[in-house]
Amino acid sequence: MKAEKKQNKHIYWNPYFGGFLLGILIIFTFYMTGRGLGATGAMKSSVVATVDTISHTHAESNSYYSKFINKDESVLNNWLVFETIGILLGAFISGSLAGRIGLRTQHSPKITSRRRLVFALIGGVLFGLGSQIARGCTSGAALSGMAVLSTGGFITMLSIFGTGYLAAYFFRKNWI
Amino acid sequence: MINRKLAKVLSFRYKILAIIFLVLAGGLVVLPKYEKQEGIQPEALLKNAVSSERYITTDELADLIINQDPSFILIDVREEESYKKYSLPNSINIPLDKLLSEDSNSFLNQDQFDVILFSNDHFYADQAWLICNRLDYNHIRVLKGGLNAWFNTIINPEKPSENQSVIASELYSFRKAASMYFGVAYPDEFKAKPVVKIIPKKKVIPKKKKKKMPVEGGC
Amino acid sequence: MGPLIPNDIISHEWSYIIAILIGLAFGYILEASGFSSSRKLAGVFYGYDFVVLKVFFTAALVSVIGILYMDYLGYLDFNSLYVHPTFLWGAIIGGAIMGIGFVSGGFCPGTSLCAVAIGKIDAMVFVGGILIGIFIFSELISFFEPIYSGYYFGNVTLVDSLGISPYWFVFIFTIIAIIAFIVVDIIRKRNKKIFYN
Repeated sequence: MKAEKKQNKHIYWNPYFGGFLLGILIIFTFYMTGRGLGATGAMKSSVVATVDTISHTHAESNSYYSKFINKDESVLNNWLVFETIGILLGAFISGSLAGRIGLRTQHSPKITSRRRLVFALIGGVLFGLGSQIARGCTSGAALSGMAVLSTGGFITMLSIFGTGYLAAYFFRKNWI
Repeated sequence: MINRKLAKVLSFRYKILAIIFLVLAGGLVVLPKYEKQEGIQPEALLKNAVSSERYITTDELADLIINQDPSFILIDVREEESYKKYSLPNSINIPLDKLLSEDSNSFLNQDQFDVILFSNDHFYADQAWLICNRLDYNHIRVLKGGLNAWFNTIINPEKPSENQSVIASELYSFRKAASMYFGVAYPDEFKAKPVVKIIPKKKVIPKKKKKKMPVEGGC
Repeated sequence: MGPLIPNDIISHEWSYIIAILIGLAFGYILEASGFSSSRKLAGVFYGYDFVVLKVFFTAALVSVIGILYMDYLGYLDFNSLYVHPTFLWGAIIGGAIMGIGFVSGGFCPGTSLCAVAIGKIDAMVFVGGILIGIFIFSELISFFEPIYSGYYFGNVTLVDSLGISPYWFVFIFTIIAIIAFIVVDIIRKRNKKIFYN
């Protein structure tokens, strides 16, 4: 244990404590707004907003963008966008209190940071794609879905972690 | 060292937490089920009751029928015998005592059509309206005055006297035209014989699941 | 009673302020639980750190038990909550793609945002990747359309699809989760420790 503390200099919360608070937060969110948390929604909004500013006609003609474009208000004027701003702020506060702030690339000592960044990009693209197909990411679909016992939420959760374990073997060099 | 008893308890902390979880989850199973009040809240019911949408006048209804508006269904809540004798065209008979049966549910509990209830006056129809609202059905309306008003206004409209306003005479001409549509022959008055055959056509109404929340998700 | 904002108990103007506050708490909890570290997150797949599974399952359990109790006591109407819609193959295929993305990138969107906030460059690249991924999806919407909006089962819950009482389900789910917690602790002790910072 002592060795671990020496090496892993960041002390995090007990996972059960974090989970408990997260659960309370989900209850509070549902109690207030009637729906769960989300993270990719805001990213989707920003993509739509960017495409819309670059080429309005293109965004209008695409059946996916046009769903989110509203003439009266900006796409970014959205509950999830504000929530995401909150996430950034909250994480920054927590990180600065614990002294974890700093520009760096975190990777296993066995791989270069360039390799890490390439795989992060691939992972990001896949996650972006998948989250749109499944209509939600781990927080929006799986976590909030599970809180209300949504069938889709459970399927998404099982699918993410099931595939994760299947694919883990091929990516092991990046992590261990 | 400082507090051995506390340390001893704390070494079991995960087991204690697990037990708390199990007790809480088990509590949900064990808790006595109580009947939640299904349907509408009293405030909302009151709001519906005083709403102007509650009643439809005979003139409006005649207009709807003549224009063959497809957005409503007529439901006769009187007994079957009276329904067989006379009823409004294309109406469906659901006697008050069968209001809660499976068959009538598909007509009443849907979002597609306006449901217009009627009886001889609007007394029974009002009671049916109340029950339907209690069950949180949507778009239920009552024909004001019922069939009696229907006869007095549409089938056999009262001729306005000379000194009445233009509106009254316009109304009269509308009603007269409507009554002709429903098969009253003029000028021989008081021969209120509806020619329109009553065909209780069964409309196929797809059931929709009620979902109040906007479809807007997390991610 | 609740949910408060859809039922107009709290006015809609407040919703953005509440959104920021909820996001603040969400970000704080994720970061403080260690979700801003991709190596910690990926540990769940290699058996050296199960913090994801622990936090995730605990949160799901606490929230579902809490919501059911609040529903029982009449503070919250379970039926008026937003239920994530079920698109069977969309959920499976999307989840599978996300699973590969998770192992490859080491983040999920919420945690990557936390990591961006504390200055992880890999997380910024990851978020950029998500934006590209969403862009690709939107451009190829006609290709994905059959999966995206096919096999629709409505906003169903497990209560509808399994025909099981929610209370029993939660009870079984709790037992499974506790067994999972015990098992992962055993696995973690067997595996060699991985150090990272």
